[in-house]
Amino acid sequence: MRADYLEIGGALAFVEQHGPEDGIPLLCLHTAGQSGVQWRGCSAGLAERGYRVVVPDLPGHGRSEPARGGPVTDLGTYAQWCLELVEALGLQRPYVAGCSIGGKITLDLACRASDRLAGVVAMAADAWTGGRPGERGLRRELSDVAAASRTDRTYLGTLAVVGRSVPRERAELIATMHRREDPAVSTSDLIGWTTHDLRDALAGVTCPAHLVVGADDLWLDAEAVRWAAGRIPGARCTVLSGIGHYPMEEIEGFAAVLDGWLRALAGTSAPQPEEVAAP
Amino acid sequence: MSTEQVLRPGTGQDPGAGRHFEDFAVGQRFTSAYRPVTAADLADFTRISGDDHPLHAGPDGILQGPFGVAIAMGLLQSLGLHGPAVLGLLDTHWSYRHPLRVGDEVRLELVIIRCRRTRRGDRGVVTRHMTLVGRDGTVVQEGTTSAMVAARNAGPDPVAPDPVHRAFGTVSWGEALVERLAPGFAESLATWDGTIGLRAGEHEVHLRIYRGRVIEVSRRAATGATFTVEADELTWLELVTAPANEFTRFAMTGRFGTRGDGYEYLRLTAALHLLVDAARDLGTQHPAGERA
Repeated sequence: MRADYLEIGGALAFVEQHGPEDGIPLLCLHTAGQSGVQWRGCSAGLAERGYRVVVPDLPGHGRSEPARGGPVTDLGTYAQWCLELVEALGLQRPYVAGCSIGGKITLDLACRASDRLAGVVAMAADAWTGGRPGERGLRRELSDVAAASRTDRTYLGTLAVVGRSVPRERAELIATMHRREDPAVSTSDLIGWTTHDLRDALAGVTCPAHLVVGADDLWLDAEAVRWAAGRIPGARCTVLSGIGHYPMEEIEGFAAVLDGWLRALAGTSAPQPEEVAAP
Repeated sequence: MSTEQVLRPGTGQDPGAGRHFEDFAVGQRFTSAYRPVTAADLADFTRISGDDHPLHAGPDGILQGPFGVAIAMGLLQSLGLHGPAVLGLLDTHWSYRHPLRVGDEVRLELVIIRCRRTRRGDRGVVTRHMTLVGRDGTVVQEGTTSAMVAARNAGPDPVAPDPVHRAFGTVSWGEALVERLAPGFAESLATWDGTIGLRAGEHEVHLRIYRGRVIEVSRRAATGATFTVEADELTWLELVTAPANEFTRFAMTGRFGTRGDGYEYLRLTAALHLLVDAARDLGTQHPAGERA
C-alpha cells in the first residue's frame, strides 16, 4: 500500500493505493462522515485479485483537508472532485464502487461520466430519498453540531442499521469506529444525500451498473433501489439478506464478493441472480 | 419465551375451559385454525347490520369492517380461552389494514399483552392483541380487546412468578425497573434534573431523576415528564423479548414515539438504552409460559 497527499480541488487529499500500478483501476468511496478506513478489510484482497485500488478520504473526512468552500452539501461536488482525482492519477476508465453517500456519488458519476468509466457498483443508495431525512431538521442539527448525545446516536444508529447476520463483535467495531466523525461534515453529507435527485439522469447511464442494497438496511427501501436499477439500461440489482447499510464492512471476504460483481459487469462471468444471500 | 398453541374448533381440545385470571400471563400466544370467508357470510352480515353500501355488493364485495371483529371473537371461542370464568367484554380497539373479501381465509393470532387484577381482587382485566392474518401472512385487521375474567382466589398474586415483570408503564413495573438499572445510568445522568415518562398503551409511569438518582417513581411527577417515550403494549413486549436491545431500531422505524422535550430525549440516548436493558432484564426473568 502507498499513501499520498494529492492536491485535489485546491486542498490536500489523503489517498491510499493498493496493488499494481497497471492493475484494473478501482475507485472506492466511503460513507457519510467516515473515511477510506471503511475499505481496510478488502483493499488488500482486491489488490491481490489484480486491481489498482484507490481509496480516497473525501474532502473534510479522515486525513484529507477540508473542502475549500467548507463542508460539502452537494454530492455533485464530490462527484466532480472524484473526476479530478481520476484525472490526477491518470486512471484509465476505472471502476467505481461506493456505499451510502459514496454509493450515490458512484451513481452520480455514472450519470455524468459513463464514457469515462468501466462500470459502477453503487451500494446502499437509491436515486432519490424522497426528501428523508428532512433537510430542515439536518440544518437545525448543523447549527448545533454538538447536538445532544451525537456520538451515542452515531454509535447506536450504526448498530441499528448493521445487518442481523453480522456477528456482534464485528458490528460493535463498525459502530465504534463510526464515532470518529466531524458532525459538521457528516450532517452536511446527509443534506447532500437527502437533496440529491438523480431520477431523471438514470436513463442516460451507458456504463455497466450494479445496484446493491442490504435487506436489513433501515435507511433504504429495497423497492426504491430496484426502481432505480430498472431505470438504468441493463443494470443489475442485488438484495443482500442479513446485511445492512455497510456491506464492505459487514461481509467477511468482501474482496471476493466485489470482484465477482465487477467481473460480471465486465462480462467475464455469468450474470448473478437478482436476490442473493450474503456469503 | 411464550407458549404457542394451535387449536382447532370442535376437536375437544379445550384446555382453557377453566381458565381463570391467574392462568393468563403477558406474552402468551395462541393461534386458531383458518376460517374461510363465504358468500353466505357477506349476505348474512349485510342483512344483520343493514350496511348495504355498494362496497359490500357484487362478486368483488368487501366484507363490512365489523365482520372482522365478529369472526375474531368467534375464532377466539375456538381457542377455548373463554370459559365460564369470563365475565364480560370491556372494550375493542380495532384497525382495518386490508380489505377482507369472499374467498379469503384468515386465522386469529392472539397475544396476551396485559393482565391487571382489579381492586376487588376477585377478578382481573386481561387485554389481548388480536390479529387476523391471511394465508399469505398479510395482516388484514388487528386490534386489542379486554375481558373481565374471574380469579380463582382473591390474590395477592404470588411473588414468583412476579406479576409486574411485564406490566409495562405501571408504577410497580417502574419500581422494579429502577432496581435493575446498571450503574452507568446514574453516571450518564450525573448532571441531569428531570423526569422520564415511559408509556405503554394507556399506562404511563414517571421516573423523577435528580443528579443520576431516581428520587420518585409515580404515575405523574409534580411538574410532569420532561419527555415521554411511548409505544403500545405489544411493541414493549417485542422489545423486551427480542434477542438483543433493539430500541434504536424500533425508534428509527417509528415503533416508539416520543413527546415532550425532544432535545432532552436525544440527550438521554445512552440512559434510555440502559433503561431498556433493565426492562429486558426484568421482562425475561419469568417466562410467561411458566405462569400458565
